[in-house]
Amino acid sequence: MTTVSTNVALPEASDIDPSARCPLLILIGAAIGWLVVGGVLALIASIQLHTPGFLACCPFMTYGRMQAAQETAFLYGWAINAGLAVSLWLLARLGGSPLRAAGLASVGAIFWNLALALGVAGILAGDLTGFAFFQLPAYVQPIMFVAYAAVAVPGVLAWTGRRNAFTFATQWYAVAPLFVFPWVFSVAQVTLLFAPVHGTIQAVVAAWFGQNLGALVLAPFALAAVYYLLPKISGRPIRYYDYAAHGFWALLVIGGWAGGRQLIGGPVPVWVATTGIIASMLLLFHYMVVGVNLVGALCPRGSTVLRFAAIGLKAYVLGGVLNAVTSIRAVAKFSQFTFFSVAQTQLLLDGAFTFMIFGALYFLVPRLAGKPWPSAALIRVHFAAVLSGLVLKVGGLFVAGWIQGGDLNHVAVSFPAMAGHLQPWLLAATAGQALMLLGSLALALNFARLLVVCFKQPARELLCGSAAAEVPAS
Amino acid sequence: MKSSPLFFLALFASLAFSLTALVLATNAQYGSLAPYADVTVGAAFPQAPLGLAARGQMVYQDLGCAACHTQQVRRADFGHDKERGWGDRQSVARDYVHEDRVLLGELRIGPDLANFGARAAAQGLDAAHLLAFLHNGQGAMPAYPFLFAKRLVTGQRSPEAFAIAGSPDYELVPTPRAEALVAYLLSLSADHEYPETKQPAPEKGTK
Repeated sequence: MTTVSTNVALPEASDIDPSARCPLLILIGAAIGWLVVGGVLALIASIQLHTPGFLACCPFMTYGRMQAAQETAFLYGWAINAGLAVSLWLLARLGGSPLRAAGLASVGAIFWNLALALGVAGILAGDLTGFAFFQLPAYVQPIMFVAYAAVAVPGVLAWTGRRNAFTFATQWYAVAPLFVFPWVFSVAQVTLLFAPVHGTIQAVVAAWFGQNLGALVLAPFALAAVYYLLPKISGRPIRYYDYAAHGFWALLVIGGWAGGRQLIGGPVPVWVATTGIIASMLLLFHYMVVGVNLVGALCPRGSTVLRFAAIGLKAYVLGGVLNAVTSIRAVAKFSQFTFFSVAQTQLLLDGAFTFMIFGALYFLVPRLAGKPWPSAALIRVHFAAVLSGLVLKVGGLFVAGWIQGGDLNHVAVSFPAMAGHLQPWLLAATAGQALMLLGSLALALNFARLLVVCFKQPARELLCGSAAAEVPAS
Repeated sequence: MKSSPLFFLALFASLAFSLTALVLATNAQYGSLAPYADVTVGAAFPQAPLGLAARGQMVYQDLGCAACHTQQVRRADFGHDKERGWGDRQSVARDYVHEDRVLLGELRIGPDLANFGARAAAQGLDAAHLLAFLHNGQGAMPAYPFLFAKRLVTGQRSPEAFAIAGSPDYELVPTPRAEALVAYLLSLSADHEYPETKQPAPEKGTK
């Protein structure tokens, strides 16, 4: 296949990208490291689902802790580090000025990752909170709040100090999570850990936090990247761009409400679940706008970046539609508490978010480092492994969930019998997870080689920026 | 969107919108929900867990049991929770007023435990059964050998210890964590009727 753009040393590449190099390479390096660590933990947890005795000899390897640790490594390690890197880079680029307070971001990134490492170790030692998406022990959470804010400051400065008064959809999506995360994170810390609310209000707050983290922090990071990359690479404007603002505000205003759908039939006020269902339905408008705006990404024409983005985009829209469908009470009756909802979550995390961000990394890392990716073969391995892994993992979980939903509603089926029915599909999910880990290792290896090449160069040459090439996508 | 202050104000407002409803309004609605004083029995329900059971909830949390078990029974016409014998009535918010950390759970790889203590009592399962189950595992549930200590028998055997096949000189003693976890599981019951759980008498033409 052809190389999409071999020489895209853009005018601003030489003065804007180096300003962001240090914090962004820390964030991206940490993100990829956590992706591998999270992948290993996820693989162990996945094996334990069909082979319960696997590594079950010691308390820190129990499935409950492993699951919490892998989820945390993925969300707070991979997703937030990578999302922040993409967001800062986009805001600096579109702001048209070098990143200000970049040192603050570097310090913040280091503290974020040290605290996270302590937190994941704490989870394995038994200090998990028990709330999904919010498992980090109380003792690292305040540090992480401050560290995130430190990383976010340069992004907000790049927004407020931008050269053009006019802003693009990319900038709205990139800046929103910088503001949303500290808020929802601090509210959750106070109301769940430090001055806990009573009774099942905790479950409502935890669902609200999880929904915000997924829909208003991670999704905007990824969408910001695709709104930027699609016109940049394809050379065509975004379709029906006028609607982008409606799609953005629909997500921001309605997104936080949809968490209630997880509590359908639960011991919480019925209006919480009902508003969750209505919000999930209304959010279809957002997914429609995103789909229409970014439909051009579905014909990548040889661009590696867009090939990743296209899969991420499909997963995003499909995930949104599935969230709406499974929020209907008659469907929730079967899909609730099964692997079906696990599969939905993974479709959005491993599929939508991760693929869009992979695309963005393949675009921005060569520009930051001033060097092309060292190995096109590793990129092909990465793409093939994560795509087949995603299909196997999410597909296996969907089928397992389907069977489990039937079994749970069939009183004669005992739990050991159900475990037997689910086993082949959970094995498929494990194979998928192993492939995804293989893909992450290919990315990590390629990135490490790039860093080696990068740091062997004299600093002067790096700062002047040689022609950063997009990867050959054959 | 040109004005930064306006943009951030709008962001703030959109978040405040869901926060006000889901965090503040729920708290205002039932944040002060109290146990129900049942004058016919002369006690308040749900009853606060005793010391050992309260410690057991921490074990339940730190081992991540909630990753595979829910603690919420759904109403009779929504799923088959009642038919599975998990509870005669739906779990309600009042059932959780004594819990410091409410772990409703999101996945049922194992059975629901909201009413486990009441169920175990009805089936004649006692602490020894549960300890054996924790030690051996079953189906998708792994064994938890680290909740037991292997000990040389000196003098009389401990009453709660298991014999180990093939090594008569040793016995398996449940650790305090295992005993707390079992006490917690046996304390789980959500079967008392509250005003909000009493089914209204069926009317003609309605369910």
